[in-house]
Amino acid sequence: MSVPSVAERITSYLKDRLPAASELSLSDFVQTAGGWSHEIYTFYANWRQDGRQMRQGFCVRKDPGCGLLRNLSSLHEQFRVIKALESTPVPTPRAYWYQDDPGLLGGPFFVMEKVEGEAPNPWSKAGKSFYAEAAKRGTLPRSFVEALASLHNLDWKAAGLDFIGVPAEGRDFARREIAKWESLIDQSIRKPEPALTELLMWLKVNAPEVQRLAFVHGAYRTGNLMIQNDAVSAIIDWELQVIGDPMYDVAYVLSDLNREGSPLLSCVVEREFFLDYYQLLTGLKIDLEVCRYYEILYMMRSTAFWLSASGLFAEGKNKDLRLARTTYSVPVVLDMAAKALGF
Amino acid sequence: MLSAKLLVGEIVSSLRQVIGPAISEPYPKAQAYMAATILEFVARQIEERDGSDSKKAALLETLFDDIDRLGLPARIASPRARDAAALSELISNLYQVRSEIGESAFAAANLRVRQALRDLLSLDLEIAGKEGE
Repeated sequence: MSVPSVAERITSYLKDRLPAASELSLSDFVQTAGGWSHEIYTFYANWRQDGRQMRQGFCVRKDPGCGLLRNLSSLHEQFRVIKALESTPVPTPRAYWYQDDPGLLGGPFFVMEKVEGEAPNPWSKAGKSFYAEAAKRGTLPRSFVEALASLHNLDWKAAGLDFIGVPAEGRDFARREIAKWESLIDQSIRKPEPALTELLMWLKVNAPEVQRLAFVHGAYRTGNLMIQNDAVSAIIDWELQVIGDPMYDVAYVLSDLNREGSPLLSCVVEREFFLDYYQLLTGLKIDLEVCRYYEILYMMRSTAFWLSASGLFAEGKNKDLRLARTTYSVPVVLDMAAKALGF
Repeated sequence: MLSAKLLVGEIVSSLRQVIGPAISEPYPKAQAYMAATILEFVARQIEERDGSDSKKAALLETLFDDIDRLGLPARIASPRARDAAALSELISNLYQVRSEIGESAFAAANLRVRQALRDLLSLDLEIAGKEGE
């Protein structure tokens, strides 16, 4: 479906949802780049209501039916998570409507608030420079840690987030994560990858115990945070969230995977400052051994992503060449994991 | 007939220097550059395929010979075919019978398996690990 056609259909949808609105039109309608799992559209709706001119930014996230996470991604779950977070201190967009019927846009979608700010890609030259400059000013690094702490300090039961699944105490969390990504691998793999088998077996044997269950984002890094005036205005990309070990997010922040050449964690925060301030805000003790384990688990997860992506291309379900390219990333990530395991 | 390497080089150059810059829409533009990157990988894949496949086969033969000599139970270490699938199965089996065979036997077999995995990965990286060269 072309972008103008999507815009037309969304206009019609919003007219139904905002019955008091008249003269409703959309402006600045764009399909944003990125998002291998979902199509994302942002725009402003302009309308008249009770004699006043209204303007509101919206973001539509649509399931294309052949996303990277295949059956592991639930748009409805994402909507419910964002909705549940609205009344908490976690900075998130407001969630408005979920539409399960694929008839309108060709797949389920939901509408949420378009949070003001920007989320520069930390792998681009401009993004690196953006975060390096912000780091020098000092406000964004603090906000980066505070937003993460707000997640991990959240009373997720009170927020009603236990519907996403709660692992048992002990080693269950890591085992559930391994099982989840192994199921994606099983759906995607086209030829045996013995190094991946060794990685999976090692992860299963060495699963760590969780010190405290928390609400975990699963991909907490710059690029997945909207930033306005040097502060995190919203945590976005709610697709990998779990109830689990907060060290899972901490490990992602500490990982070299997310800073490509920058001396700063996630291209924005000094390591020592992050460790000290996070522990102060959460009362949790960062266990670097456990984080190292999760970093290796992330390498397995990345392998699962790349196998899924290249598999979708090979199966003819997605023609995006970026997905085909990932077949060459599989040995690179497995090599990183092998080195981490000592071979 | 021109060599495949030369042809691919010319297509890559055209995608990067002529076609890509001429496209204004972000998505097709990115696809053009991505096509160039993938073609470079594919060219190496074609060039190194025969050598790589035979080296992998030889590595697996040697590995399974060495594993045979470790005296592990036949049900876990004697596959019908000595291929990547058999190696994956061996790895799973080793972890599953770890307590049965004892820690030192496991460690010896796992060490040998990991040496083979390193060699196999290094062969894959000859194709996949050279982006932009």
